[in-house]
Amino acid sequence: MAPTKGSAKPKPDSHKGKTISSGTKISKKGVKRPPPKEVKSKARTEPSQQKKTKKRAYTEAELDLPKLNAITPVGVVNPKGRKKGKVFVDDKEGMATILAMVNAEKEGQIESKMMRARQLEEIREAKLKEAEARQAQKKSKLEEAKDSIRNKKKGNTGDDTKAKGNSTKTQSQAKGKRKSVSFA
Amino acid sequence: MRQLTEEETKTMLSKLANYCGRNINNLIVGSDDSDPSVFRLHGNRVYYLKSSLANLSTAIPRANLLTLGTCLGKFTKGGAFRIHITALDIIAPVCRYKAFIKDNGVMPFLYGGNCVKAHIGRWSDDVPELAGVVVVDMHDNPLGFGISKVSSAASKNIAPTDTVIFSQADIGQYLREEDTLFTT
Repeated sequence: MAPTKGSAKPKPDSHKGKTISSGTKISKKGVKRPPPKEVKSKARTEPSQQKKTKKRAYTEAELDLPKLNAITPVGVVNPKGRKKGKVFVDDKEGMATILAMVNAEKEGQIESKMMRARQLEEIREAKLKEAEARQAQKKSKLEEAKDSIRNKKKGNTGDDTKAKGNSTKTQSQAKGKRKSVSFA
Repeated sequence: MRQLTEEETKTMLSKLANYCGRNINNLIVGSDDSDPSVFRLHGNRVYYLKSSLANLSTAIPRANLLTLGTCLGKFTKGGAFRIHITALDIIAPVCRYKAFIKDNGVMPFLYGGNCVKAHIGRWSDDVPELAGVVVVDMHDNPLGFGISKVSSAASKNIAPTDTVIFSQADIGQYLREEDTLFTT
């Protein structure tokens, strides 16, 4: 604060000197100065003036907060004490173990596929047999029906004349009773 | 160029096991004990090469190395493994299921088409559905690989124009995809 005041003082003097040297008069009344600002000195006890005390920041662990339920992704948390980076496989043993795992997996898959294919084949065969049996049954039924018709026809040739004679008689009797309509 | 991690090895071997079955052991053990063949990852592609060659590759800066050994396939961004046609020479001798296709079916297959039943000369009797099959011509030259649509038992009951093997890769790709096959 103090040095600013000091520096402000000599200015008017220099101004006066200038007017003298140049000979031109500058009326003091013409120049309007801004009203002097009131500078309030702050008390030392004011909170802004006092030295800031550093507030202690507590870490989460110190606060002893209850932990929230959260899911930790598997890939994020690395187990401690383990080497960082990729784990290469170049020794024969490591390769052999991976190979054994892969082989077992593939064999299982192929085996299950084969099993399923075999089951499906069995089912298909059973269905085929059933269909064939049904077809044969149908055929035999048809043959039977055909035979019965043939037999009927053969039987009719011998005994039919008698039967027919009887039937014609009965028919004629029935016809005699019936009313008949004739057109001229 | 680096070794594969455990997870990568498992993914790759399980994919190869689709085509090779238990014979995949022959790939890893190999015939030469002093200089076994190894799998190496460069970029996202997996190469199969002799370990002595792989050791030499450490002398070349990664950015300067384009390819080394036989490319088996590549890892996708999702982590899956895609077998490339370049792996055919390695898979074909140790494959589990083979399908021989007739001469009239060779060209349709080499143009990327699926195999129909009429084009198949003979194939293994015990192929389950959706199994990896190596497609060869009648002179036992490998042409590509695919996945069986139906099991070999069920294929007896389907029409000659029905698809039996879905094409996965064929040697026609060397011409068709010349520009993208070896880009890294």
